[in-house]
Amino acid sequence: MKKDKAVKIIQAALRKGRKTLSEYEAKQVLAAYDIPVSREVLVKDKARLDAALGKIGFPLVMKGCSADIAHKTEKGLIHVDIRTVTEARKAFRDIMAGLEGFDGGALIQEMIKGRRELVMGLTRDPQFGPCVMFGLGGIFTEILRDVSFRRAPLTLRDAREMMQDIKGRKILDAVRGMEAADADTLAQMLINLGQIGLDFDSVMEIDLNPVILSGAKPVVVDALMVVAG
Amino acid sequence: MPETRSSNARKPKRRRAAADYERIFHPRAIAILGVSTEDGFGFGAGMFRAISAMGFEGGIYPVNPRGGAFDGREIYRSVEELPDPVDFAVIAVAARHVPAALEACLKKGIAGAEILSSGFSELGTDEGRRLENEISRIADRGICVVGPNCFGIYCPKSGLTLLPGPDLSRETGPVGFVAQSGGISIDFAHAGKWMGVKFSKMVSFGNGADLREAELLHYFADDPETQVVSLYIEGIKDGDAFFRELAKTAAKKPVIVLKGGLSRAGARSVASHTASMGGSREIWSSILKQARAVEVHDTEELAQTTLAFAGLPGRAFRNISIVGGGGAIGVTACDTAESYGIEIPPLSADLRTRIEGMLPRPGSSATNPIDVANPFVAPAILKEVLLAAAADPQIDLQILVSLLFHYKTIARFMGRPIAEVTPFRELATAVRDVVEQTGKPVVAVLSSARRDADSLDVIEMTALARQEYLRCGIPVFDELHDALRAVSHMNDYYEGRIK
Repeated sequence: MKKDKAVKIIQAALRKGRKTLSEYEAKQVLAAYDIPVSREVLVKDKARLDAALGKIGFPLVMKGCSADIAHKTEKGLIHVDIRTVTEARKAFRDIMAGLEGFDGGALIQEMIKGRRELVMGLTRDPQFGPCVMFGLGGIFTEILRDVSFRRAPLTLRDAREMMQDIKGRKILDAVRGMEAADADTLAQMLINLGQIGLDFDSVMEIDLNPVILSGAKPVVVDALMVVAG
Repeated sequence: MPETRSSNARKPKRRRAAADYERIFHPRAIAILGVSTEDGFGFGAGMFRAISAMGFEGGIYPVNPRGGAFDGREIYRSVEELPDPVDFAVIAVAARHVPAALEACLKKGIAGAEILSSGFSELGTDEGRRLENEISRIADRGICVVGPNCFGIYCPKSGLTLLPGPDLSRETGPVGFVAQSGGISIDFAHAGKWMGVKFSKMVSFGNGADLREAELLHYFADDPETQVVSLYIEGIKDGDAFFRELAKTAAKKPVIVLKGGLSRAGARSVASHTASMGGSREIWSSILKQARAVEVHDTEELAQTTLAFAGLPGRAFRNISIVGGGGAIGVTACDTAESYGIEIPPLSADLRTRIEGMLPRPGSSATNPIDVANPFVAPAILKEVLLAAAADPQIDLQILVSLLFHYKTIARFMGRPIAEVTPFRELATAVRDVVEQTGKPVVAVLSSARRDADSLDVIEMTALARQEYLRCGIPVFDELHDALRAVSHMNDYYEGRIK
């Protein structure tokens, strides 16, 4: 783990009086804790777009990325399944316009394919401190609320049990031609997420949603991190 | 470097020695501060009468600065002038005099005190909080305090009792119970008497200025008199210490927890889905699971689950047989069992044939659940049926559903009282014999559909039947559902959830 990197990102955001990290920053913090995130490049300058496209490769996803903007979908700041340079350039123009002058850029992101979406998160309970969440992701998170919690620090057994706590636990099995999820990696992600909560009192809430199972491998595709000084 | 965790938890208190607790729960002599000569109905006088009525064998010294006599006993003017060493004190003086009273107990070398008086932090006033802080500070200097604003300690073995319980059971047992609430405590103490839950110690700690959930868990974890710990919690003071002690205790013995006052997080202002879904209800459930405690959701479930853990051997019972007759036990029993992950497997063919031969026909069925066709099958036959069913190696536990209220019809027909025509004594003895011979526990369910005012005789007989079963060591539940739910809690605890 590269905690120093996480410290720098979080402290920089706090110094600026920010309440959230941008998706890009949040994922760098996660990556510093060995939590697998989508490959991505942040582009603020049009001149650097082509290089980023070359690095990530088509098809890809482009998102508006700013700590000041929370609801990207509603503002037309997400463009998925981009397959050509022309499409990418148009998306870039739309995104930069949609940022409405807020500090930010376009996140050029590999498109993670997988039919199974999970959620992970961190909340801070007034009694028990940082607690890690696991459950069904994507649109099902709010609809089904099929989630479980464990208090940090998590043991490996805690992490494995919380995955078995949800009603939809079978989504992790080999179903309908899909591979069984990599439970070791999932468990380690939950443990490390709890560690972020223990290491940083300033990290108040984290949402990783969706965490897509790409084959067996979980990848964090979107991340929200709420901080407080 | 990462930021260091700020710790706002109070620094851990000095650990109480087991010897201190021994003096508190089994005192040789007690002082009761605040026994009033005039009205005789205050908490102090009430506790004096209650402890006397319980038959406490040690010395009881009433104390009041005005002196005089109470119930023919000399009232001492101060703790200092008590003639003998005292182990435990009951403090029932007005709130503003409590710190001085506690200080006097500390000087006298008293190990612990329960403070029944109210008028502290529960008032929400500065004065109340100040007085309570004073109590905490005196306690830190070397006296254990239960309370203030509590009903005190119940210890059947020694005769200590909760306010106002002069007639709680003196039968000691394996259950340690802890609650802030005195009301819940006295209710459970009374319910335990008819349900067959026997306590080692019960502590209602009220405002918890000193001893609280975490420290009491720590004590019960290693208390040889306590085999099962039962807990009613409203709020906790230190989440970290509570979790640690809960997990440590639950690793040694079952801990059953009822958490009161849960709410969803809807009202909290949060930005993430995670925080909005992590309300106190969800977090508490998770914390209890993580610590391997048993979570229950109401006081009945708490009492029933405690009964099962205390009354049955400490293991899982995944496969059971159910025996009964005269009611629709078959289908609903299977439905309920399935929802709790309990199997009611069909008995082996040869056992089925044997059991069929014992039962009246038509109307009986020897598949599991075993329907004995009517509620009047003789205890001797039921015994044979239970013995036969236990011979199936699949079966871990048996449930006998006794619909004894039907004997009312026979009583009416014979013109005799129901308690005389119902063979509950024979039944209880037969069941005890089955348990002894097979080594497989039997649980009795005494459902009664007749609870109206015209059926007081049925209610009385049912109470006597329950007492008889309990005397034979057979746990009794009112409903099959209650029994199955309690057993499923045992299964979860003893199997662990991941092997």
